[in-house]
Amino acid sequence: MRDDPSVIALVARVCDGDQEAWNELIERYAPLVWSICLRYQLGRQDIDDVGQSVWLLLVEHVRELREPAALPGWLATTTRNECLRVLRAARRLDVEGLPPEDQMPPDSVATMIEQEIIEAELNAALRLAFSELPPGCHDLLSMLLSDPPPGYAEVSAALGMPIGSIGPTRARCLERLRRSPHLAALGIQPGAVAVRETGR
Amino acid sequence: MSIVTWDDEELFAALQRAIRARDAVPAEFVDAGKSAFAWHNIDAELAQLTYDSTRDADMAGATRAEAASIRALTFNSANITIELEVTRDGLVGQIVPAQVATITVQSRVGANASVAADEIGCFSIRPIPASPFRLQCTTGSGIEALTGWITL
Repeated sequence: MRDDPSVIALVARVCDGDQEAWNELIERYAPLVWSICLRYQLGRQDIDDVGQSVWLLLVEHVRELREPAALPGWLATTTRNECLRVLRAARRLDVEGLPPEDQMPPDSVATMIEQEIIEAELNAALRLAFSELPPGCHDLLSMLLSDPPPGYAEVSAALGMPIGSIGPTRARCLERLRRSPHLAALGIQPGAVAVRETGR
Repeated sequence: MSIVTWDDEELFAALQRAIRARDAVPAEFVDAGKSAFAWHNIDAELAQLTYDSTRDADMAGATRAEAASIRALTFNSANITIELEVTRDGLVGQIVPAQVATITVQSRVGANASVAADEIGCFSIRPIPASPFRLQCTTGSGIEALTGWITL
């Protein structure tokens, strides 16, 4: 994950003043910033405050990042610091008011941050891989991913696909997704990401 | 465990989580991030909100109710502090350490208006700018500081 070539390329384009690359970067990492803010139980106004600080700090410091691939870690740490700043601005020196994470041993905070980074990188790679699937696969999986999940009869009617071919096509599309170079670039360590029950 | 060894259901569930994590983020939050890039060629340090009397009053409860009628905000950058108070018909502020400066009010649509801070760093802005706005402070000694977006 530390040498994800797509992140390195994006950061290089951002440093050249490329707004499109910046937009991609924001789309990729906004969920990371957002989810860390939720960990600190911030309200919407405070999350917006943290967000704008994090993005402006990134604008200010992006050229100074020695390793562009360390960007997710920088973003996560900066977001955490900004969350604590907002909480302190609200509660000043009220240490009791700080969230549980801040009272945990530093190791726990580091673990939380590391989990958020791994999850965000996995999610970003999955979304990127998904966006590059052929249109047929993208449409089918999009429909199957909708909430609540549609029945195969509904999918068949919407996509003009025989019911019997939905299952095999879904399997082929997932195999294409699995082979995406974006996922191969992740280099997820064994056991690093636990697949949770989703209640499907 | 690695992704290539995930079975179809694990992969599908992971994809579902990834899509939902993205969909959970409001579009305005993402758009605000995109528009932050407008500042990439501005050589200013970010002055961050470090105190807001509204939030403080919320926490302190009734004892601070009177003080809360005037809103006070503090912004800190690496080199200066901007103190800001909202009065009935405008904003009054002070740059610390005290020094001559130009304060520019920037609106989201790019309209700017400037006022001068005197030798003890005091300035006033009338009327209250339309929210959201931000202040850019350029001191006589060449320090450039920019606050985050302020909504009153």
